[in-house]
Amino acid sequence: MKKTCEANVRALPGAAVIELTGEVDGGAAGVLTAAYERAIADGDPGTVVLDFAHVGYINSTGIALIVSVLARARSQGRKVVASGLSEHYREIFDITRLSDFIELFGDLDAAVSQLTGLTD
Amino acid sequence: MTSVAQPDGRRLAVFAVASEPGNERMALARVAEAVAGHGLPAARLERLKTAVAEATMNAIEHGNQGRPEIPVDVEVIEDGDDIVVTISDLGGEHASAGPVEDPDLALKLEGEQRARGWGLFLIRHMVDGMDVTTDGPRHTVRLTMRTGVPGVPATEGGGHEEDL
Repeated sequence: MKKTCEANVRALPGAAVIELTGEVDGGAAGVLTAAYERAIADGDPGTVVLDFAHVGYINSTGIALIVSVLARARSQGRKVVASGLSEHYREIFDITRLSDFIELFGDLDAAVSQLTGLTD
Repeated sequence: MTSVAQPDGRRLAVFAVASEPGNERMALARVAEAVAGHGLPAARLERLKTAVAEATMNAIEHGNQGRPEIPVDVEVIEDGDDIVVTISDLGGEHASAGPVEDPDLALKLEGEQRARGWGLFLIRHMVDGMDVTTDGPRHTVRLTMRTGVPGVPATEGGGHEEDL
């Protein structure tokens, strides 16, 4: 499937940020998996932030990918939080109950501020 | 076979997309263009777009088995204060519904359900009504979304209109 998603990974004290751009669908599988690998390779972060501010489309396959990342993170004792979701995708996170397991922040700055506060 | 009466109303668009991965994006864009200016608030339009994309993806993958030469047919009708979108493939009775049971995230996280299986669940939660009919090989999903604003004139981006 054509790849229409890109990921930028950066480390924070105690956390890693995966900034996603494009579309989170079946074509994002390799990108998301590789990004998660990079995220946890640097400093063994306790929290992984998924930033969706530059994502315009998430479909059911993308939801499944996020579920897989969440399952893997939980099995490793890591927390996953999300930022930058539009109102529509926040609703989908509520309907699917992802928001029961992933704390949602309005934007990446809010997530980072919270995480920085927690890790100081 | 279940039969559902065809809705009366005004056709806003009719088109087909090839059964290739990713073409659900084309379908949702054309439906959005067709219903623009027909009284659907922005948040409900986003919900309809998601439902159309998921139903089209099911038609491509499960109905037409990803065979590009078999089209997925899409029709958009305004029927009073309803927007009705029908999405048809030639897969006959098929398992586009995915699992019969609702997806359970807790079970998925424990590995007791597969991670996928969200498509029909999302559709059901996005629109006001969903009907599935099969007539021989033709399998049709009909999505209904109330505008709540009957009689809004089609003043912008009305797409290709045709009285039925």
